Amino acid sequence: MTWLALGGLAVLAVLPAVLGPYALSVFINILFYAYLGQAWNIVGGYAGQLSVGHAAFVGIGGYTAAVLAAETGLTPWVGMLAGGALAAVLGGVIGYLGFRFGLRGFYFVLLTVAFAEVCRIVASNWERVGGAVGLYITFTGDPRQMQFQDDRAWYYIALALTALATAIVWGMERRRFGIYLTAIREDETACEALGVPTFRHKLGAMVLSSFLTGLAGTFYAYRYSSLQPGAVFGIPLSVEIVIRPIVGGAGTLLGPIVGSFILTPLAELSRAWFGQGGWHGAHLIVYGVLLVAVVLFLPQGAVPVLGRLVRRAAP
Amino acid sequence: MTTRVSRRTLLRATVATAAVAGFPLPLRAQAETFKIGVIHPVSGPLAEPGQACRIGAQMAADAINEAGGIKALGGAKLELLLGDTQTKPELGRTEAERVVSLGARMLLGSFDSGSTAAMVSVAQQKRVPFLVDIAAADPITANVARSVKEGQQKLQYVYRNFPTGSSFGRKAVQYFTEIFQEAGVTPKRVLLMYTNDLFGQNQSRGFLAAYKAASPPWQLLDEVISWPEPPSDLSTEVSRARAARPDVIAPITRPASAQLLLPEIARQRLDVLGIVGPGSPGLYEAGQIATLKEHLEYVLTSVPWPNFQNPRTRQVAAEYIERTGGKTFDTNSGYSYDAMMLVADVLERAKSTDPEAIVEAMRATRYTGGLMQYAGPVVFNEIGDNPNAVPTMIQILNQRPVAVWPKDVARRKLVFPRPKA
Repeated sequence: MTWLALGGLAVLAVLPAVLGPYALSVFINILFYAYLGQAWNIVGGYAGQLSVGHAAFVGIGGYTAAVLAAETGLTPWVGMLAGGALAAVLGGVIGYLGFRFGLRGFYFVLLTVAFAEVCRIVASNWERVGGAVGLYITFTGDPRQMQFQDDRAWYYIALALTALATAIVWGMERRRFGIYLTAIREDETACEALGVPTFRHKLGAMVLSSFLTGLAGTFYAYRYSSLQPGAVFGIPLSVEIVIRPIVGGAGTLLGPIVGSFILTPLAELSRAWFGQGGWHGAHLIVYGVLLVAVVLFLPQGAVPVLGRLVRRAAP
Repeated sequence: MTTRVSRRTLLRATVATAAVAGFPLPLRAQAETFKIGVIHPVSGPLAEPGQACRIGAQMAADAINEAGGIKALGGAKLELLLGDTQTKPELGRTEAERVVSLGARMLLGSFDSGSTAAMVSVAQQKRVPFLVDIAAADPITANVARSVKEGQQKLQYVYRNFPTGSSFGRKAVQYFTEIFQEAGVTPKRVLLMYTNDLFGQNQSRGFLAAYKAASPPWQLLDEVISWPEPPSDLSTEVSRARAARPDVIAPITRPASAQLLLPEIARQRLDVLGIVGPGSPGLYEAGQIATLKEHLEYVLTSVPWPNFQNPRTRQVAAEYIERTGGKTFDTNSGYSYDAMMLVADVLERAKSTDPEAIVEAMRATRYTGGLMQYAGPVVFNEIGDNPNAVPTMIQILNQRPVAVWPKDVARRKLVFPRPKA
């Protein structure tokens, strides 16, 4: 298994040598959403606390780095960590409120959505951070400002982030922390009865997840050159973050990555195919039908099914 | 003997036919084409205007190709590589990369400022000249101009033929001043009301900044009323407006908020000289007029508008109606049409497909064939914007939007103050 993972990583590491610029751009999106999905997976997949407001952390992370860069000239490489830290603080606050007062299921979903919406409204009305018009990042091509003449740099950043998050989750699975989280997801009451400090562990998962998601905010801001409250704090982004691990298999190590490798190319191919022929929006129907099919036929996601197939092929 | 078609044969034949029909034949290699990436949000929340842009650009390209293509490039035809952003910035970037990798040597797009900003990076990075047909946020071109000035980038590849947020504001203040002067009134209590989203804030910010800079004889109230978009009810906002005793209401709306605002203003019987919008959708579209009827009569608003005095505009507008099954040739289709025509003009002068030559020709542009209302020829200033891309003041008269200001482009005489009901 370890060899397989390292092999996969090695293939991904040499891939840019053979990819054209467009394919490279698609792979950057795949890895970026795989990373976001993996970060969400810690709290949503392993701990089973369904957050549908993770866009809030992307937004906080991106805005922090961009504002620091604009006002103090701080390089986004450092701003990225500051953004992650601030996102972790917000994650801590949401987690504390949610877990301290025992919000579960839909109530926790609502809490996370509400926080993301509040962030969106604050950002929309705060002149200092550009208000609803948002912030625009100047393309300079200077690596110190997280701008690159060569897109391969973006690819390797996205790959490094994904590898980092996956390594963290891999380590977590093997430690008490990860096992406790899984136990909490399966039966929280039983965990408490056995003396597992559920509050502390859920909070830890939330803080870790929001920190990692916050790092992605800076990536978003500098790769896509702008931050607008609707785009980075909005529910659509939160949903994009959640569906990849769900399709791939929430609470599994490779679920978010497999999910992103399924969904992102599917969205690309269907858009490129239908868009050219003037079938506006047909790709959204295809995408939607596939999602419905996955939820109906693979409720556990793709990874458990793939795992069974692999085991059957090589007993 | 009869030939029986079995179920299986039929099925096979159907599948085979579908497979053949479903896959487009590879385009026959033409002598030489010039590929342009045309990227708009044709699906998603802004699909309607995005599709209008795409059709506008396609119509212009068809007209250019029918007239013999780009003569300076040996009659090269324009080939459009179409892209869809769904109004997502990340797709702006991905789509731009895609069309460039398919051979696009220029980019055109992309309506919303977020996707456009994402495309700018691709244009600068890959040295692909990019003509922004629609997008109003000032930093899109200003940021690039600054990085060139500061020596971080060698050349600016991004140009825009559309009014920016700040130029919208400047023009609106100027038109307000001129219209009030024409009517012989000096309102002291003009109330700005706006929808608090990206567009509304951009517009109101530009308007307020221009007002401060111009310090005109008429006066804006200090109180400014805004609402989140889309609103569910605006009666409180209109009550507040009523309490401010305005003599002119200056609303910046979206279609949904206009549908609530205007009837509410009538219901609460605000006695004003008129409703004069500094520029927004919701006050002039055919669907809005059909819904709001008399509430829109005499409403004025400053918007980018096709120059219908130009016979060519009327001809293209008629073609557009035919091609779209009855839609109006408007801001979106018009600016995208003009952008494609500008591309042809630039290429004729560049006489080369080299990006630097195209940029040089772009900077030297003095194009007078535009169908939209301009304040002069299309030129690009040091920021890369066309200072002559200006809005027009239109008014709903007899339930039709018509240009009424500036005077030289007016198709009807403006009615202000509005007649008492």
